[in-house]
Amino acid sequence: MREPAHRVSTRAIGMWTVEALTVVLVLLGGQVVWWFIDDRASRTAHWVVGAAWLVLSVAYVIGMPRWRYRVHRWEATEHAIYTQSGWLRQERRIAPLSRVQTIDLERGPVAQLFTLASVTVTTASAAGPLTIHGLDLPVARELVEALTTSAVRERGDAT
Amino acid sequence: MSEWRRLNARMLLVHPIETLVRLLPAVLVVLIARSGSDSDARWELIALPVIVAWGVLRWVTTRYRIIDGQIELQRGLLNKQTTTARLDKVRTVDLTAKVHHRVLGLAKVEISTGGGPRDRLVLDSLLVDEGRRLRAELLHRANPEVTALPAPTGSPTDLSDLAPGIDAAPPADEEVLLRLDPSWIRYAPLTTTGLATAAAGLGFLTQGFTRFGDTSELIVERAQWVRELAWWVDAVLVLVLICGLAVAAYVLTFWGFRLTRNRLGSLHTRRGLLTTRETSIDPARVRGIQVDEPLGLRLAGARRLKVVTTGLLKEQGGSDWLCPPAPAATVTALSRQITPDEAAVSGELLAHGSAARRRRLTRAVVPVVVVLALLVVGRVAWGWTAALLGIAPVLLVAAVALGIDRYRSLGHAVTARHLVTRHGSLDRQRVVLDRDGIIGWKVEQSFFQRRAAIATLVATTAAGRQHYDVVDVPIEQAYAVLAEVSPELVDQFR
Repeated sequence: MREPAHRVSTRAIGMWTVEALTVVLVLLGGQVVWWFIDDRASRTAHWVVGAAWLVLSVAYVIGMPRWRYRVHRWEATEHAIYTQSGWLRQERRIAPLSRVQTIDLERGPVAQLFTLASVTVTTASAAGPLTIHGLDLPVARELVEALTTSAVRERGDAT
Repeated sequence: MSEWRRLNARMLLVHPIETLVRLLPAVLVVLIARSGSDSDARWELIALPVIVAWGVLRWVTTRYRIIDGQIELQRGLLNKQTTTARLDKVRTVDLTAKVHHRVLGLAKVEISTGGGPRDRLVLDSLLVDEGRRLRAELLHRANPEVTALPAPTGSPTDLSDLAPGIDAAPPADEEVLLRLDPSWIRYAPLTTTGLATAAAGLGFLTQGFTRFGDTSELIVERAQWVRELAWWVDAVLVLVLICGLAVAAYVLTFWGFRLTRNRLGSLHTRRGLLTTRETSIDPARVRGIQVDEPLGLRLAGARRLKVVTTGLLKEQGGSDWLCPPAPAATVTALSRQITPDEAAVSGELLAHGSAARRRRLTRAVVPVVVVLALLVVGRVAWGWTAALLGIAPVLLVAAVALGIDRYRSLGHAVTARHLVTRHGSLDRQRVVLDRDGIIGWKVEQSFFQRRAAIATLVATTAAGRQHYDVVDVPIEQAYAVLAEVSPELVDQFR
């Protein structure tokens, strides 16, 4: 099976970078707290953990968004939707539109900053929602429109 | 059938009993507290009329009807709630009768229309006959001829039903697929559910002992007696106790177990010694079967069978069981009757290859190696006894055996109508899933799975566990399965 046809928006890299920075800064906050509540004289442990944090954070903030961008892809036809996502752990999901129950367009705060949106397609299975992150807002709107039209045409019990 | 109906008036008796049972801890506290004081005030007696009034109110305000292809349930006085469900969405109907229900000839009816706990209508309680008629109306609406027939599952539950053999013969349009054979009770201690129940019971008992242990002369003496026995006698005693509790749990849950199928294909199970429970499953909702083969049962040549269906809730423990632990031959024969697909039920499965075997062995052996390394460190650094290292060979052999068994359990097959997948060792299960019941696919690959060119293929479904996995299958085989089961999906993306 080939990859899905379309990549997500290039601005998604920016969105994932901001998200990665948030995670990394929360960890830094933890370390700052530790620095002040630890009353031992030796600061070696702090510097070791700090160095590890720096290396991993830089790798994560720079590497993860680009790696994700290379992996994340999507494609929708009249009968099915097909996505690929992840970075270390990757997955492909495919669902026929005849089994689709709801189609959601979602814009988190970071996504709004980059005028991006994510589209989630749920089926009757609790294990089966497909989400496409980092779509250009107009593309996402168009996709929702197209999916809704096709899903309505393909009526079934959806279970 | 479109007029409003009420719950049975006898629920007025059930309700105070249930409330009392629920409040029992509080009542006990009150009684204990009073035993130390001189106060004569019986103020808790006020609670009784309140509870009764509450029950009456519930009876007056609760009503239900079937109209325009929907079932409507109305509750509440000030905050009126109306729950409506379309009849063609009704998936399963459960009739539960606890001891006090049975004395009064009542049953609680639970109608499930979806996967969530909110998609459920509960009628507590109706006459057993009334409940069965309602169930027939709900599940047989496709065939008005059948709807007009009297209750479909024979005589109402009464105590005489318990003894097998005395049981009234089911109506002719019903086929009995399985009846519990009392000799199957020997499998009870071999399942984890049995053991878990036993452990819970044991925990409860010890708690009781520690509470009264200080005061009761008798228990102290017995404890002394147990302490003086050889260690293996103690072990045997514990084993006997566990087996006894597991058997008791099995008997309570599965006594009188009977699986029937009516001529429209609805499956009915009926079970229980004190609390009886009847579950009816609409055939249109069945998506497959699951044969459980945990290690203990496998060694004893036994299996158990569950149904994979939409609309059964997890918390209704055991509603999806089609067969309690029973001899393998019985379970296989039953599986064939429910899923007439020989290759899917008992055919050979495709193995998943060397990468899968390597991963099973690594996962089984690495934790043992870590534990052994810790023991060695402990010996060197803190001088732990060397006898601990004596268990090393045993642990390693057990780990390798587990890994090999887990690999040999791994497998999948695609037949004309089903996808079959099997995995696990201590909890091995073989799932036979209807190809029509699959509503999507996932191909998952972790970093290490990508390097080994294998993947976990996940078939998502609205039934049972919601997803069934083909674990660590070579990637090209995963796509081959996908292409064979859902060609119309895959062809667009070639």
